[in-house]
Amino acid sequence: MEEFEPTIVAFVCNWCTYTAADLAGTARMTQFPNVRLIRMMCTGMVDPKYVIKALLAGADAVLISGCHPGDCHYINGNYKARRRVKLLQEILTGFGIDTRRVKLTWVGASEGNEFAETVNHLVNEIRELGPIETRELMVV
Amino acid sequence: MATTAKIEVRDKNPVAALQTFLAQVLEDEYVAGVLAPRHLNDNGALMPTLVTDPAMLDRVDPLAPAFPFNAAKTLVKLTNGEMVNKVAAVLKPCEIRAFVELVKLNQGNMDNALLIGVDCLGSFGNTEYLNYVKDADPIASSQEFARAALAGEESPGGTPIAKACMACEHPSAVQADLSIGLVGLDIDDHLVVSAHTARGEGLLSRLGLPDVAEAPSRAKAMAELVKKRTAFRDKMFEETNEATASVEKLARYLSGCVNCYNCRVACPVCYCKECVFVTDVFDHKPWQYLDWAGNKGMLKMPTDTVFYHLTRLAHMSTACVGCGQCSNACPNDIPVMELFRTVAARTQAAFGYEAGKSTDDAPPLSVFQEKEFSEVTGGVD
Amino acid sequence: MANRIGVYVCHCGTNIAGKVDSVGVAKFASTLKNVVVGRDYKFMCSDPGQEMIIRDIKDLGLNRVVVASCSPRLHEKTFQGACQRGGLNPFLFQMTCIREHCSWVTKDFDEATEKAKHLVAAAVSRVNYHAKLYHREENVHPDVLVVGGGIAGIQASLDVAKSGHRVHLVERDASIGGHMAQFDKTFPTLDCAACISTPKMVAVSQEPNINLMTYSEVTEVSGFVGNYQVKIKRKPRYIDETKCTGCGLCMEKCPKKVLSEFEEGISMRRAVHRNSPQAVPNIPVIDAANCLKLTKDKCGNCEKFCPSGAIDYTQTETELELDVGTIVLATGYDILDPTPLKQYGFGRYPEVYTGLQFERLNNAVGPTGGKIVMKNGQPPESVAIIHCVGSRDKNYHEYCSRTCCMYALKYDHLIKDKVGHHVKIFNFYIDMRCFGKGYEEFYRRVQEEGVSFIRGRPGEITDQAQTPEEEGKLIVVSEDTLLGRRIRVPVDMVILCTAMEPRKDTAEVARIFGISQGMDGFFLEEHPKLGPVSTATDGIFLAGACQGPKDIPDAVAHASGGAAQAMALAARGKVSISPTTSWINPDICIGCKMCIGLCAYSAIEFDERRGVSVINEAMCKGCGSCAGHCPSGAAQIKHFTEKQIFNELDGLLMAVPPAPRAKEEEEPVKAEDTAEAAA
Repeated sequence: MEEFEPTIVAFVCNWCTYTAADLAGTARMTQFPNVRLIRMMCTGMVDPKYVIKALLAGADAVLISGCHPGDCHYINGNYKARRRVKLLQEILTGFGIDTRRVKLTWVGASEGNEFAETVNHLVNEIRELGPIETRELMVV
Repeated sequence: MATTAKIEVRDKNPVAALQTFLAQVLEDEYVAGVLAPRHLNDNGALMPTLVTDPAMLDRVDPLAPAFPFNAAKTLVKLTNGEMVNKVAAVLKPCEIRAFVELVKLNQGNMDNALLIGVDCLGSFGNTEYLNYVKDADPIASSQEFARAALAGEESPGGTPIAKACMACEHPSAVQADLSIGLVGLDIDDHLVVSAHTARGEGLLSRLGLPDVAEAPSRAKAMAELVKKRTAFRDKMFEETNEATASVEKLARYLSGCVNCYNCRVACPVCYCKECVFVTDVFDHKPWQYLDWAGNKGMLKMPTDTVFYHLTRLAHMSTACVGCGQCSNACPNDIPVMELFRTVAARTQAAFGYEAGKSTDDAPPLSVFQEKEFSEVTGGVD
Repeated sequence: MANRIGVYVCHCGTNIAGKVDSVGVAKFASTLKNVVVGRDYKFMCSDPGQEMIIRDIKDLGLNRVVVASCSPRLHEKTFQGACQRGGLNPFLFQMTCIREHCSWVTKDFDEATEKAKHLVAAAVSRVNYHAKLYHREENVHPDVLVVGGGIAGIQASLDVAKSGHRVHLVERDASIGGHMAQFDKTFPTLDCAACISTPKMVAVSQEPNINLMTYSEVTEVSGFVGNYQVKIKRKPRYIDETKCTGCGLCMEKCPKKVLSEFEEGISMRRAVHRNSPQAVPNIPVIDAANCLKLTKDKCGNCEKFCPSGAIDYTQTETELELDVGTIVLATGYDILDPTPLKQYGFGRYPEVYTGLQFERLNNAVGPTGGKIVMKNGQPPESVAIIHCVGSRDKNYHEYCSRTCCMYALKYDHLIKDKVGHHVKIFNFYIDMRCFGKGYEEFYRRVQEEGVSFIRGRPGEITDQAQTPEEEGKLIVVSEDTLLGRRIRVPVDMVILCTAMEPRKDTAEVARIFGISQGMDGFFLEEHPKLGPVSTATDGIFLAGACQGPKDIPDAVAHASGGAAQAMALAARGKVSISPTTSWINPDICIGCKMCIGLCAYSAIEFDERRGVSVINEAMCKGCGSCAGHCPSGAAQIKHFTEKQIFNELDGLLMAVPPAPRAKEEEEPVKAEDTAEAAA
């Protein structure tokens, strides 16, 4: 059987994590190709619907990543994101969706290394966790 | 400590006693009208009715074991605007709790309402209620129901009350300005009315009813009722968790969903003018459906059903008061209430929030703190 | 009409093409829905690359463009410019990063190519739903409002006025000068505070471009960057400013004495008073709460004696409205009241002073004429100076107040200088922080003057003597953490270096101006490093200690920074407003107001008539806090709409054909073979 390769969608904020991803690229920090980025202006913009949709559409995990607390380009968008992720985790965990599949991290603009580590760590974590049910199921 | 007064019952007719009580309320200088469940005719059809003429209180039935929809939605229409006097609304505890949530969402206005809660012994679903009353006198049926329920009968008249009510741990309306007590009392002798707010105190003192000490039998009976319902609730949580423990199971659970959106129309705290699921955001192009079908070789229609329920959980589970109108409204008998209450219990606990408890508690997603929920980010603040 | 999308995949030399089959990706792109042409090119950002896009827009009638190349943070503007030159609205463009996020970080060629396809599919899917957007220009009113007339506000006002712009300077007190006017000497140069601040105060009053309004407060601010409307309350002075000559006779004749705020409560003032003869303006004010005429309709001395007939008991509060383009807040700080720190006995022992009280004691125009004496008139023989009172203390303020070490050193020197070298001085400190220009040198100088430094935070100040030499003294009980032992130091006088803290009404002022407070309670700057003078609200800037504790040079520098920011806007006269703001659809909004509470920029107002929330586009920064919450989707960020994100997601998760093993050899510029099919 072919080894499972997860598909991961990442909603990252333009000012911190997206910049960190650029930095990781410039520094040629090798990452697994499984994580695909969607650039948002702020994690506070990430509607819980986007996360639900991604998971139902077969993403094995969703990463939301933005500025560290206190560093948010928009003052406090990341705190709002944290509550929304908390809410999603509480809802989804009951349906057998592991909380590790909805991940929130803080990666600052200068932390290219942390970005690459976050990506690689998450991919390994989800590889271990296995595919999400919606990969095979028709759940819309 | 709440002031409690006595409502005398004559001729073993507690509903008549409540009608008299409401007539007095209606005469109060600050009350412009009374909103209360009233039978439309003699076959039991019941609707919240705005009464301004005391003579029209004759068919008002606060003991009716039914509420065709959550009247918090109606009270929103009656309070949202500038008013001189208040509308006194006779509501079930779940309706009051829903109203509390709606006030926080700038829908209803607490200043314009005088909330009168009645101990809730449970309600039937709409169809079950009409079957229960059949050809009998609806008010007499309500009183019979109340006596039977107070005596501890599980299914008065052979019909079980709605599951939402069996699982409801809030039979008394302590958020109301006034609450009318039935539990633990001989309702053919007297009822009690307690004031929980300054406004309630004011009205109660103006009504001039005799004070009465809270009977110990009432507290005991209330505790027992809450215990019984909590046990039912917890069992329901367990069963529902089991029935939806995986995405596959959840999809099976919701497989009857036809996207009629009745549940959100019936939901008192789904307050949006237009649900996002009926906006053009979910207007997909024909080729998109084909693309999606292409991914797995088929596409279940209608689409966005599980997505809709999960999103609704994200939107309103923290505000869910467990009234059960969603299940009441579902044409395909999906146990919507069970799912929503089960998830709501989780989400409300996560934010230390109890829907409908107080207008002082901010909705969880409307606020945030700098240091909280560090577990979400793996312990990093 | 179907969209006509052009997709351009860059090789970036070998930067992308070395790891990604750019040719294959372009070919894949051309098979996607609504894509009219998919091309690849060596360097898309080069002139020929951009020309290719411009030509296609014109020749093929493209109405959407996608470029897959480096990070949009690098070249988004470049390609938006190309689109614009081709006659296409720059927002009908989407860029996806296949270099930094793909070719540079992926090991395997096929995997990188596949990822690039997903990213391109997402961009194509998204761009279908892009809409034309336009930058908006707003005029900037040339006048500037400065709030607070301490040294920071004075500096900001003078700077702006010098540029030729009109300044409205609003001061709450009866005269300007702020805390600096209370000081005697300034560290580390020891020049006298009055000698350097009075000329600046006078310059304010003489500057024709400055409209000075003392005894006034801002009560309401509305509008947005460039166009603020400000309401100002002018409190009654009961003295006609146009008639008063500042002779001071009224103050001599006033019988009512109360504790002086300016003298920090160590001496009395009259009901009619001014801070000092050098006050600007030099006009006294009648304190309505204490004036016998105004409270009991008695006395009336001032009116009787005033030679110019300036006394007017009938004055009332007035309100005026101003239009300004920008606002500089210089509202300063408060000094922590040390009374709650019972262990230090402030208020209980008469010889325990706050730093500001000591400033007055030491000031040539202060209550003692600048003599450092105790309440009994005798000079102290020994003094303890306690640092960090309420600073660096979890129970009060966690932060360092930044000025205390230095003014403590100043006191050390002044006591030695004025009272005599025999005076024993003990500094109780946690760390000495002498970081400014000339500060460390000053520290060394004071050390050489024979001042003692004890590392430790005193636990108690007591008058309970244990030995004969402690009799009649205040005993500072502390640990000397360097020696590791408990010590008792008897002294005649104690000075508490009390923390600088946010003004009591900071929250209210923040609300009025629509800005935020930081964790420390001071006004929050836009960015701790790169935006220390701006706030999250465009056109509102900070100056001085209202942003955090500062000494005079830092406050002045900060104020000049704030003034420069305000002038930059005023000088250009126009401000460009980004179109990627939020928009709330009034047909969908139900008016729950949740978004208003979530907005960090006070950019959402409630329209009572329609019962809906409305975005003020000039204040909105497009962060999406509202859109991320709005359950009905009424609030959406332009260029980040739900439709756009859902479709990007769709493209990202779409099945893509696996990358072929072998690299195909093909011309970089691919013939458009799919144009007709898709059209």
